[in-house]
Amino acid sequence: MTMLSRVAERLYWMARYLERAEDTARLTLAYSHLVMDIPENTAPDWDILVRIQDAEPLFTERHRAFNELNVLGFLIAEPDNPGSIHRSIVAARENVRTTRDVLPREAWEHVNELYLYTREFAEASVRRRNRQQFLDQVVARCQMINGLLMTTLCRDHAYRFTKVGYLLERADMTTRVIDVGAGVMLREERHHTAVDPLIWGSLLQSLSAMGTYRRTIGPLVEGEAVVDFVLRDRTLPRSVRFCLDGIRRELHPLHNHGGALRVLDGARRSLSRFQVEGASREELHNFIDRFQLRLNSLSAEIVESWFLPAER
Amino acid sequence: MQRSWNSYSSGKFFDELITPHGRPRVAARRAVNLLKGLSPEDLAARRAEAELAIKDMGITFTIYSEGKNIDRTWPFDIIPRVIPARDWRKISRGLAQRCRALNAFIDDIYNKQKILKDGVVPAEVILESGNYLPQCTGVSPLFGVWAHICGSDLIRDKDGRFYVLEDNLRVPSGVSYMLENREITKRVLPELFENYSILPVDDYPSRLYATLASLSPRTTRRPCIVVLTPGIYNSAYFEHSFLARGMGAELVEGPDLFVEDDCVYMRTVDGPARVDVIYRRIDDTFLDPEAFREDSVLGVPGIMRAWKAGNVAIANAPGSGVADDKVVYAFVPDMIRYYLKEEPSLASVKTYLCMRPRERDYVLQNLDKLVVKPANESGGYGMLVGPHATRAKRAEFARLIEKNPRNYIAQPTLALSTAPTFIDGRVEPRHLDLRPFILSARDTWVTPGGLTRVAMVKGSLVVNSSQGGGSKDTWIVEASS
Repeated sequence: MTMLSRVAERLYWMARYLERAEDTARLTLAYSHLVMDIPENTAPDWDILVRIQDAEPLFTERHRAFNELNVLGFLIAEPDNPGSIHRSIVAARENVRTTRDVLPREAWEHVNELYLYTREFAEASVRRRNRQQFLDQVVARCQMINGLLMTTLCRDHAYRFTKVGYLLERADMTTRVIDVGAGVMLREERHHTAVDPLIWGSLLQSLSAMGTYRRTIGPLVEGEAVVDFVLRDRTLPRSVRFCLDGIRRELHPLHNHGGALRVLDGARRSLSRFQVEGASREELHNFIDRFQLRLNSLSAEIVESWFLPAER
Repeated sequence: MQRSWNSYSSGKFFDELITPHGRPRVAARRAVNLLKGLSPEDLAARRAEAELAIKDMGITFTIYSEGKNIDRTWPFDIIPRVIPARDWRKISRGLAQRCRALNAFIDDIYNKQKILKDGVVPAEVILESGNYLPQCTGVSPLFGVWAHICGSDLIRDKDGRFYVLEDNLRVPSGVSYMLENREITKRVLPELFENYSILPVDDYPSRLYATLASLSPRTTRRPCIVVLTPGIYNSAYFEHSFLARGMGAELVEGPDLFVEDDCVYMRTVDGPARVDVIYRRIDDTFLDPEAFREDSVLGVPGIMRAWKAGNVAIANAPGSGVADDKVVYAFVPDMIRYYLKEEPSLASVKTYLCMRPRERDYVLQNLDKLVVKPANESGGYGMLVGPHATRAKRAEFARLIEKNPRNYIAQPTLALSTAPTFIDGRVEPRHLDLRPFILSARDTWVTPGGLTRVAMVKGSLVVNSSQGGGSKDTWIVEASS
């Protein structure tokens, strides 16, 4: 069975937006916990969460101060922020609404329920009181949908483009999580180094990778080891390398894959070559920036190769 | 609930479930007794459950108003409408007969025009109609069938007889709601199904698939069938997607298709793929900007060429709308006699054609008793319900009729039948109609039952979903042994 280019494109974006909603919820959760753990005068700034989304211009149009409520309102409930949980879920639902015919029927029901849930509670969950429960729900429901898709979709084009969407967004978000770490550390003159393990630990938690890290690397949470682990571990499902390898597996069987694989392999090479050990935080941040550009061009190449096919 | 059922009365109207003496009709007896036994709280809980199911299943239709698209959930009444299978078989035969005659008529109009030459139908009625598309002349689709999917609206008058009110031959919608209504009833009132043998409706998508597949111009093992939708903002988009899914067909929009060498292709991730059958859910004149409206962005340039060359089948065939006209409706009984040499087995509603001076005079003098309809509008728009209209509104219609008599017909105000409907914690009579769907290719097949539409507003006769109508599950039940 072949697949309409338009449908493939919508599945790809459905997956990206669902993953974005889940990952934003994970990161917001981890960061909220981190802030509570850190002594008040050394607590990290909230603006970092906006910066890693590259959303400062949009944010400053709406708010003057980067305080907790403004930033979390922006990440959780802002309808105009393409990175917000609310907006991601609206966009995911629109994409599912228009591809229901190729998805299992329950997919629409669950995504629609998630949408109804977010619409009702997002605004009221910005404050600390309800935040945890809301974010937990978003993560759990996104995972349920992901699980449903992964266990019911035939391994055909529908699966392939959904999977690629999930993996690409996840790789992107993992690099952003590292960037949060780097960003916090860049301002380290204000921190005690005793805070470092807390920061990296919470980031590992946002990737559900704490347990695996302890088992494979060791009990001590250290910046460089964490960065290396979440960038390059071959077995960690949220590591950047794992995601890129997965994308390669899905794209390779498609016809017309030349352009996309070239960009993908370029990204994989640069990932292997990056020297984590001894890299300054500045260097780490710059690497992440450049790497995200590579992911952007990979997405553009996928759109070009399969979603906008020219007439014969 | 006992009390509200016991005081139930539909007055002078025929009621689908309850006799004038207040007793349940035979076929509905067990269902009514069971519903009577439910407490108001229980019934309200079932209803809430149905609403939740509808919301979760995302059964919606879209209303376009004030420049915005509003997605409404489908209003559903949980009390089913019950029709004995014995009665239904007669209706079903009548519907099939009508469809055969209508298809013979369309095929005749675009080819020899015998019925016009023989003077059975006045030529000007057809040839001057906006629904007659000269671009379709000379085409003979497979089996001589043009309208493969027909939705005919039936109503029951106070004498308890069914009448055909109109035949929708262009892009009739509603079948997905018929299927979903059954699903919902199974979810929320499962005990109703005990001790009943209800004809199942859920094989409609496979019947539709078989009908469409039989039209394929290529003899491939599995023809490529697509459902062509105007897109997500169309009021029936939910249904388009539902049917595509049910048939395992691709749901496509105009820009997904293109024509080359008089063949239709769709753009896929593996490159172009040849399309055999198009189940189109967009209007004729939007189909092909080359042949009809140049400004159509919904259609596919060249699709008419491909169809005329016989390289793709289109259902319903372009031009089918010529028989979907309220003036043509008046001639259907004559068509049945003319083409099939049979007597019509389903009654039509007495129809006055304003184009005929004598009938026009009658209509103008009796506007307060009649329903006036424009010849080719759907969705209940632009009509006058005489007895309920203001004097000014009637005067307005008198002017419209005199200005353009061909465009108007009038019919007596019918006393639409009612059925018990759950309203604000009580059971009250509400008016309804019935839209069965008829599939035609080599053979003709009629859905067991159809979509029952209910006017949820007290006393209202307008059942269209775009104007506040709801629906009910419709049961065709075999007599129990």
